Amino acid sequence: MSKTLKINKNPEQGVIDFLSFLLENKKIKGVFSLKKIDKEGSVAYSLITSQKDLEDAVPFYPLMPVNAGKLLSRFTLNGPPADLVAAVVKPCELRGFVELIKREQGSLDNLLIISSTCNGVYPTKLGLDKTVEKNLSKYWTAAKKGEILEEVRPVCKSCEEFVPYNADITVDIVGNNDLDKQCLMCLNSKKAEELSKGMKGDFSDKQIDSKKIDKIREKRGAEKKKLFNEIEKKMNGIEGLIDIFGKCISCHGCSKVCPICYCVLCEFESSDSDYKPSNYEAELKIKPGVRVPQGTLYYHLGRLSHIGISCVACGACDDVCPVDIPVSMIFKKVGESVQKMFDYIPGKNLEEKIPLITFEKEEFSEYED
Amino acid sequence: MSNLKGAIVSAKSGTEKTIIDILRKAMDKGVFDAVMVPMKVPAGDAFAYVLVKDKNLLTDASVLPPTMFVQGAKAVSSITRLGKGKMKIAAVMRPCEARATIEIAKLGQVDLENMIIISIDCPGVLPSSDFLKNPEKKIKQFYEAANKMDDTIMRPVCQICDKSSMISGDIHIGTLGAKKDTFFMISNTKKGEKIAESLGINLKDNLDNWQNKVKTISEEKHKKRKKAHKELKAKIGGINNLVETFSHCINCHNCMRVCPVCICRLCYFDSDKVKHPSDDYLDRAKSKGSIRFLPDTTLFHIGRMMHMSVSCVSCGACEDACSMSIPVAQIFSMISDETQGLFNYVSGRSLEEPIPIVTYKEEELHQVEDENE
Repeated sequence: MSKTLKINKNPEQGVIDFLSFLLENKKIKGVFSLKKIDKEGSVAYSLITSQKDLEDAVPFYPLMPVNAGKLLSRFTLNGPPADLVAAVVKPCELRGFVELIKREQGSLDNLLIISSTCNGVYPTKLGLDKTVEKNLSKYWTAAKKGEILEEVRPVCKSCEEFVPYNADITVDIVGNNDLDKQCLMCLNSKKAEELSKGMKGDFSDKQIDSKKIDKIREKRGAEKKKLFNEIEKKMNGIEGLIDIFGKCISCHGCSKVCPICYCVLCEFESSDSDYKPSNYEAELKIKPGVRVPQGTLYYHLGRLSHIGISCVACGACDDVCPVDIPVSMIFKKVGESVQKMFDYIPGKNLEEKIPLITFEKEEFSEYED
Repeated sequence: MSNLKGAIVSAKSGTEKTIIDILRKAMDKGVFDAVMVPMKVPAGDAFAYVLVKDKNLLTDASVLPPTMFVQGAKAVSSITRLGKGKMKIAAVMRPCEARATIEIAKLGQVDLENMIIISIDCPGVLPSSDFLKNPEKKIKQFYEAANKMDDTIMRPVCQICDKSSMISGDIHIGTLGAKKDTFFMISNTKKGEKIAESLGINLKDNLDNWQNKVKTISEEKHKKRKKAHKELKAKIGGINNLVETFSHCINCHNCMRVCPVCICRLCYFDSDKVKHPSDDYLDRAKSKGSIRFLPDTTLFHIGRMMHMSVSCVSCGACEDACSMSIPVAQIFSMISDETQGLFNYVSGRSLEEPIPIVTYKEEELHQVEDENE
């Protein structure tokens, strides 16, 4: 049975104290966490090496300006750090990171991953006018009760994967009644247990109450059903998709912020996707007109087929879309249906291969002629 | 403006309809084989460029749409970047789109040989986020505002645009200074003249009314632009303010990808050059206590300014695409006025003017030399 460390402070302060202890005792070289970066209270992921700067860290702030999985991939792309670095990330960010590692885009080596049960994040835009800052107490009250907040990202409201996989430490947040005064850290790995030796707090065998988690998951599931129904009605065949994606300006921001889309040069920006004048001429022989640049819907369908199997439904794509297309709900819906076919949960198990690169002699016989 | 020739065209059925009729007639006569023109998408919540071969489809064209979802130069480039085709294509767009088209033709991204660029006096465009709040209502509002020459609901850079009637393409439609139920059709190139000729349009009318009105408006807007830039400079000038301004940037690089003159397939700032070993990042963090991760957010914007501000047309596409509401276009319009001013260059003004970055002069920019040397 793994151990649990209880610190008598709220989770955010408890984790900062713990990280400060690790830094002070030179057990880690740095911390990767959300941090306030200016007087205005803007929040961004930061790499922190001094205890003083750590005071401005806000490890569980309900915003995800960039998916941290993408950032940890960038951090470790050219090899892991020489010494241990602690990273505080959200469960879907960690899942995204694990999917990227499976694609050889990073490594968990020399990282101490701290995550928590997650009550969702607000759309990043709401961080601009201090809406998030003003709603923090409301957010934490809802987290304490395990309630779904109306204002968080739609994919968060309907997220059933709010308990992290592969974290060295899991902080008990959602549905934790003593949230104001208690930071309960489940030490899931030997590494975590070793590092926490000497830290002030109560060690016990107490675990996160799984019944409580199941109940919250049920609520989220009901919300998901509702949101899936809504989006399904809109998607409704090729015409529905054209209606949804018709306003796309082809900025491809959704792919740039996606933790799974890692290609340096996307297929849809490569010369493979360039149209020669003769291609346009050929199309115009059979159609009265073609949209230029071409391939607006094709891009999204292509991206769905490229990354749907690994989509962690973090919602970063929604946030970046300048024309408010509900990208993430479509990707969550289609992604989950593909994932179900392969009995695959993206980011759950590092050893489990991505279905796209595995071959089984007997599968999908239902699609055979 | 000495090469300009014009005709006053009767437009009893309305400017837009008359333009479409002319386009249709030109297709009939084989003056051009296809038209690239904005059109409302099926859902009615956006306007997209469509390359039209069937002239009946032109009925749905919107020659002066309320928004600019994709910059026209990007659309033209997608058709002709790999060379000219067999079709002669007329592209109808706003002046800043026409200028960007000319600018990137100089960068080898557009083949103009079989293209005819037609521009129209521009009242500005609505910010797309604003438009999307209620497309139907906003379309109405846009045309009402355009008729009254009211630019207050347009993109911030449209409100300070002093080149909204600048002609850089082949043909321009001038609505300013025109008498009721008419507009000016103005040719800027031999190609444009020939087209007017073959359509039986006699380019012999006096353009004074249009030119005077354009002069008044551009001077007015120029003053407004200077004032706005001065105010902006006070707000964002200096490295601290600049870092603060870009602090919300999430590195999505949307601004770069929708920019008509950012033509690189793989941006330097997305390349392996900016991907460093983890310990390098840690060393940087150590020297300051902490660094933002990813670092170099402001560097990206400054780098982009260096790469393209001399070619920036102030269209505002970047600001529209920014999901974090950073006033990118306003900042770039200010910087580009200065960098282009240094070289007495106006992006896309003329195909013949070489881009300063590719020219070399022995005597220039003494003002940035070290006085002690």
